[in-house]
Amino acid sequence: MGPGQADRTAAERHEMVRQQIVALGVSDTATLRAMRTVPRHEFVPAEVRRQAYGDHPLPIGYGQTISQPYMVAFMTELVRPRRGMRVLEVGTGSGYQAAVLAEAGATVFTVEIIGALADSAGERLRRLGYTGVSVRHADGHAGWPEAAPFDAVIVTAAAGYVPPALVDQLEPGGRLVIPVGSIYGVQNLVLVEKGAQGRISTRTLLPVRFVPLVSGLR
Amino acid sequence: VIAVTSGLGLAVALLSGAGLAYEVLLIRVFAIEQFHHFAAMAISIAMLGFGLSGTAVAFADPAAERARQWLIRSSAAAAPLLAASPLLARTIPLDAARIPWDPGQWIRLAALYLTLAAPFTAVSLAMLLAIRLALTRPGGLYGATFLGSAAGSVLTIMALMLMPADRAVFLPACAAAAGVFLVTRRPGPVLWSLAGAGLALAGLVGAAPELRVNPYKELPRVAAFPEARRVADRHGPLGWVAAMDAPAFRYAPGLSLQYGGAFPRQAGLFVDGEAVGAVSDLSGEAGEFVRWLPAALPFALAPRRVAVLGTDGGLGLEIALGHGADSVLAVELYPGIVELARRLAPPASPSPFADPRVRVAIGDARAILNRETGPFDLVTIGGGAGVGGLHALSEDFAHTSEAYQLYLARLAPGGTLAVTQGISLPPRAAVRSILTVAGAVRRIGGKAVDRGLIVAHSWSTVTVLARPGGFDADDVRALQAWTESRGVDLDWYPGVDTAALHPVNVLGSPDLILAATAATRSAEAAAAFADGYPFTVRPASDARPYPQHFLPAGTTLEMLRQDRGALLPFAEWGPIAAAAAVVQAAVLGGLCILLPAFARRGRRPPLGRWARLVGYFGLIGFAYMGAEIAAIQQLQLLLGHPVYAVAGLLALLLSASGLGAIWSDRQPDRHGAPVAALLGLTLVACALWLLALVEALLPASFWWRTLAGLVCLAPVGFLMGTPFAWGLRRLTREGDGSVGWAWASNAFASVVAAPLATLVAMERGSPAVLGLAAAAYLMAAALYHRAAGYPPA
Repeated sequence: MGPGQADRTAAERHEMVRQQIVALGVSDTATLRAMRTVPRHEFVPAEVRRQAYGDHPLPIGYGQTISQPYMVAFMTELVRPRRGMRVLEVGTGSGYQAAVLAEAGATVFTVEIIGALADSAGERLRRLGYTGVSVRHADGHAGWPEAAPFDAVIVTAAAGYVPPALVDQLEPGGRLVIPVGSIYGVQNLVLVEKGAQGRISTRTLLPVRFVPLVSGLR
Repeated sequence: VIAVTSGLGLAVALLSGAGLAYEVLLIRVFAIEQFHHFAAMAISIAMLGFGLSGTAVAFADPAAERARQWLIRSSAAAAPLLAASPLLARTIPLDAARIPWDPGQWIRLAALYLTLAAPFTAVSLAMLLAIRLALTRPGGLYGATFLGSAAGSVLTIMALMLMPADRAVFLPACAAAAGVFLVTRRPGPVLWSLAGAGLALAGLVGAAPELRVNPYKELPRVAAFPEARRVADRHGPLGWVAAMDAPAFRYAPGLSLQYGGAFPRQAGLFVDGEAVGAVSDLSGEAGEFVRWLPAALPFALAPRRVAVLGTDGGLGLEIALGHGADSVLAVELYPGIVELARRLAPPASPSPFADPRVRVAIGDARAILNRETGPFDLVTIGGGAGVGGLHALSEDFAHTSEAYQLYLARLAPGGTLAVTQGISLPPRAAVRSILTVAGAVRRIGGKAVDRGLIVAHSWSTVTVLARPGGFDADDVRALQAWTESRGVDLDWYPGVDTAALHPVNVLGSPDLILAATAATRSAEAAAAFADGYPFTVRPASDARPYPQHFLPAGTTLEMLRQDRGALLPFAEWGPIAAAAAVVQAAVLGGLCILLPAFARRGRRPPLGRWARLVGYFGLIGFAYMGAEIAAIQQLQLLLGHPVYAVAGLLALLLSASGLGAIWSDRQPDRHGAPVAALLGLTLVACALWLLALVEALLPASFWWRTLAGLVCLAPVGFLMGTPFAWGLRRLTREGDGSVGWAWASNAFASVVAAPLATLVAMERGSPAVLGLAAAAYLMAAALYHRAAGYPPA
């Protein structure tokens, strides 16, 4: 990529953050910095690269999508990213959400059910220098027990319920963000918080549509 | 030479029956391959084929001999087209979900419409040309089309009991092939028909490719799980029930986040590809699981005699049995679910359906509780399928205000009604449930409603409890203990201090509390709250049985206007599909009437008469379809079973119409206007009193209700069969293509009327649809009267 193109994508990212994210109320500094830094166009297929900074999700193959920029920023802000925190992501997809979390300072463990996506995301993240991200091809319902506990869990695909393993692997004081609802149709984005004594509380935040969280390896 | 004989009448009946059977079976097939609302839209457009045949006859105006040739050819084409159409349709890779933004899908949609419309066009053309041959007495052959359709509707249901829909869909081709032998013995047409029958037989024995279940449904998703395998199927008129065994499958709606125990191994149950429940292995520690589901909340009140309306594949029964219920009435609509749940139960965890404390009743909840008088300590019901607006057009008499009054009436003193459903944001179904339950308590004369209502929500569900006699302090304490241990919030209970509530599950708005406050204050306060709410949340009623419809029409239009359809995923797709069907049918039908009329202006009737002709037949086409849809919707409540009742009533209506058409042949022309007016007035009476009569008769025995349905529908159906035959009799004496215009305008109006009637019923209620049908018949009577004396004998 030449310097001119790099300038152009940087400008697009700044514009994306200003128009689509800050304007809708996301204000966390680390999140906004990460969204301005991570080259989203690197995480989408070449045929839709020109739309990488548009205000919508994009297909990444295998029936999966990269979420709308606002949704990535909103979910990132919800887990209050900070340097050194450990985050489990379920549903790696293209790796964009993991990169944003890593850019915000987190150590990221990300699980992807579709083998080809896990491979390509891992390669992409390495190429872009995101060494703090570990990618695993696995069933997201089980979380990542060996790396637990986590300060935060982000599920970027819809599930029919909150997998108990993900709640278990959450550190006291931790936060879990998950779209919950029917596989098709509208889901609710739910924030699950684990209190210092392990008490669970939730906040139902907004209606969303995600691709399904598919169990089983492919 | 083709003569108007009983043989021709039988051929017409066979073709008509084949057409109707194909329509019904296609709806079943599309309900699996796509979604119900898309099925209705696609089929309604395909039915434009009926109108196209009329347009062709009007345009070409074939002379008698040519018309006979056309009749033979169209009859011969019917069987091959009926057999090839479902095969071709399966090769079109349409993704209906992408239609709003993918132009390529529009091409596929158009191809699908053409594929589906072709057999209807052939069948209809044959029927029309046969009727055209019966110059002076068209009623006989027209009546035969009704009688054939009536037989087709009943035989289709029977076929669906015997074989899957994707095979049964080839049966109509066989019926059509048989009809050809009654029309001609010429080798060419006979060979074509035999070829069609052969293709159909291949499909019937399973040589056709398998149906592709919509990839957005749950079944294909679960099928992709590791080690997933479909272990059993049951087919029936109600739907295709499939069981899928997959270690990673889990069905636990609203499972408490406090639950840390074992998760049961489950097999998923699906109807038409959508998940409806699971067979759970609750042996060992997993037995505790059912005590942590939000649907278990009312069991904190220790009910002994329980009615579970909708079983979730047995999970609902496991909850009741796991809490020590002495007797459980299990009401399940799908016999296949009960059968598969029994069959798939693991040895270590016997099926709850086989438990001696459980009595299984198959059928519609409303009908069963009409005869099962209880009393019950608890009647529990799920909220229905309110997912993403996909079911907004689904008629559901189990969640109307009248239904809740029935459930409350079946409670023992101190008994409880419980409604549990998923939560949406902002709450819609839950708010409607609160208003409906409170209104029902008030209507049956319950004590202070504020003492008889409890509302609780988990992180993903809302449960509404109602007790006409009121809850006491012990009840509230028991519920508080249960909810606290499960991380569930009580939003409303007798004596609640809403300001002191500190919810564990924050919803962002206090809508549930506001709804409960208004609902318990007074009927007027509840109505005012519903009117001010951004969604349509007024209680559903038997006149408007659409409990999953929440979006006002204006909101849907606003969503459609958003850039790139950004809000479309949150829209209600049923009404959108119905509206799209109305627009498409009106535009295509209008073009198919107006363009030929313009092109053939020299050979069509004079403009004034042409307009009256099109108006008359269009009005009666619109009226027939509207009256049929509304009357059957109301009367199915009377008979109870959604599929068998509809099939039976449809057959009755069509048979009565057939007899009416045949009778009209023996009546003088001058009776046409008075009979149409009488029909209009009868429908006015139906609009005013039919639903009230149905509700009054609900407690009667099945046979009395059946008799009442017969008495109500048969005379109306009889009269409804006459206006078309009478109008046609005047036209067949002419050689100006008038019969084609009549047929086309009638068919196009019917196609527009079907989705339009559904939309009107949803917004204004089925009595309004009957009123519109009555008005259309009265206008038709006026047109007929005005045209008296035409044409000169």
